[in-house]
Amino acid sequence: MAENFEQHSDISAADLARLNQEAQAEATPSTAKIIWNEFKADKPAMAALIIVVGFIVFVMIGALFINTPKMMETNIMDYFDKPFTDGFWLGADSGGRSVAKQLIVGSRNSIGIAIGLTIISSTFGIAWGLVSGYFSGYIDWGMQRVYDFMMMLPMTMMIIVLVTIIPHYNSVSLTFIFSIFYWEGTSRLIRSRTLAETQKDYVAASKTSGTNHWKIIFKEIMPNISSLIIVDCTLSFAENIGVETGLSYLGFGLPNQTPSLGTMIANANDPSNITLYWWTWLPAALEIVVLCLSISYIGQVLRRAADSSQRQGAAD
Amino acid sequence: MSLVEIKDLKVHYPIRSGFWNRVTDSVKAVDGITFNIEAGETYGLVGESGSGKSTTGKSVVGLEKVTSGSILYNGKDITKADNRRKLDYNRDVQMIFQDSLSSLNPRKRIEDIIAEPLRNFEHLSKDDEKLRVLQLLNIVGLDADALYKYPHQFSGGQRQRIGVARAVATNPKLIIADEPVSALDLSVQAQVLNFMKKIQREFGISYLFISHDLGVVRHMCNNIAIMNRGRLVEIGTREDIYNHPLHIYTKRLLAAIPETNVNQRAAHRASRLAVEKIYEDQQSKYYDEDGMAYPLVQVSPTHSVALPETIAKQLASQEGEVQA
Ligand SMILES: Nc1ncnc2c1ncn2[C@@H]1O[C@H](COP(=O)(O)OP(=O)(O)O)[C@@H](O)[C@H]1O
Ligand SMILES: [Mg+2]
Repeated sequence: MAENFEQHSDISAADLARLNQEAQAEATPSTAKIIWNEFKADKPAMAALIIVVGFIVFVMIGALFINTPKMMETNIMDYFDKPFTDGFWLGADSGGRSVAKQLIVGSRNSIGIAIGLTIISSTFGIAWGLVSGYFSGYIDWGMQRVYDFMMMLPMTMMIIVLVTIIPHYNSVSLTFIFSIFYWEGTSRLIRSRTLAETQKDYVAASKTSGTNHWKIIFKEIMPNISSLIIVDCTLSFAENIGVETGLSYLGFGLPNQTPSLGTMIANANDPSNITLYWWTWLPAALEIVVLCLSISYIGQVLRRAADSSQRQGAAD
Repeated sequence: MSLVEIKDLKVHYPIRSGFWNRVTDSVKAVDGITFNIEAGETYGLVGESGSGKSTTGKSVVGLEKVTSGSILYNGKDITKADNRRKLDYNRDVQMIFQDSLSSLNPRKRIEDIIAEPLRNFEHLSKDDEKLRVLQLLNIVGLDADALYKYPHQFSGGQRQRIGVARAVATNPKLIIADEPVSALDLSVQAQVLNFMKKIQREFGISYLFISHDLGVVRHMCNNIAIMNRGRLVEIGTREDIYNHPLHIYTKRLLAAIPETNVNQRAAHRASRLAVEKIYEDQQSKYYDEDGMAYPLVQVSPTHSVALPETIAKQLASQEGEVQA
């Protein structure tokens, strides 16, 4: 059969290397490259990216050098030390514990949970939405009833109940508990795009080319909704920082001896803290505002970059 | 034995509704059609949009779950997924799609697009595979520098040629061409059709050529089936269909062929309106009381039409055809 092709085209094995080289010179940049160029062109976006990445790396590494149990010991002598006194850069709280150190360890805990939660819930939600949207029919119907059931559960109440009945929980188990309730939104979004994508002829062409369902779902369809996935993940991440913070603030997040951004902001529960001892809660609150703004700015740029490569994809 | 024998094929789409997703009705996209495709020929399937042509084509290539009937390929019923798998069916039967942009994955480079069937069916070495892709590009008249580009960087005609290259990659026996040129400019249409003909000669491929335009089909097909609302209303050779059309629906399609000669536009328009008027007036004669086409009856060895026997014979003798 190969002879058949030899015979009817002017190209033979001898030309392979040369033609390949010619083609390589004309190659089109990949989407990753387009996104990177977008960041290079947009200075504020680059700044936001550096702030977020730099900060995450800083707290991840910084927390390794802090002895948490020792840091969390009460020291009555340093009761509400002001910033820049007694060697406390950001002052101390009602237990005489360093706010700066708590901020580093707390950020590590909160961001770690947010990253874990984003990875688990997005992976699951994306896979659920892709499979449900691709197969349609009974599989889709069944998967959507599971989705409906999960949406019926009162989320915050369930998390509080689970946290109360599980005796010894830590950041890892908390991440998993949160994940049960945070994949649904993503799955719905991905499913609706997958439904539309599956109707396109390139999916039919892949089927007639002998490609199996799983490869079609994850290698053909998924790259085509990558812009949606990237944007959804970034926004989920910003939102997920708030999830742990909110529950810890209410007193149902991490246990007491584990600092987090939520437990620090909870210092503002006390009216006198709010005005008098502002340094106990303000740095954590500012940090969340800056992080969430930066992340959603990054999300916007990613969306723009992904859309522009999508636009190029749709242009004639 | 024909290459493909389609027997009483039906594809009904269920309409589901309510919480329990029960079937409440169905769309009869294809409703009992029978025809054969011979090896090496181009078989035309023509009808207005919505008449079920694409559904028929997709059933033949194995993309559609058929409701009943059979499709025999070399004597084996390929409506069963199991048989298709055993035969490596899609190595032999491929498809060219109408919308060239939608049929090429926008996130894949041309090399990966054309190589996809090769990777699944032939397992060539990396160099052999690349060589085959380059040869295929060359056969459809594209340069090697297309290799690492994306579909959107090509014009409609070029993209359709990439679609043709992918379809011939595994040297198939039959290609379903679903309105392959309908989305293209007239000048580009001829170009793509010529490539398809050239490839047919060189590789001995059969086409099931689907179109809504009898004008395009004329230069491609030896045998033609006319489809109307899921049923066939007329089958015949090119000569039968173009020179002795019997069914009013066929006559209407013939009248709808765009007239390129400017001087005859007015005359053409008048004749089209006349046919349209007959169609309006005589619908009840050509369709049964439910508005569906009658079963086919043979009026000559090659020519069948969906009419009650007496009317068919009468019309055929008026047309001066030789009786079977
Ligand atoms: N997946 C589907 N579900 C329900 N109805 C469909 C589906 N695909 C096609 N149809 C219907 O079947 C009929 C025939 O469609 P199609 O085969 O695409 O016609 P054609 O290719 O001749 O334009 C149309 O009425 C169309 O609406
Ligand atoms: Mg169609």
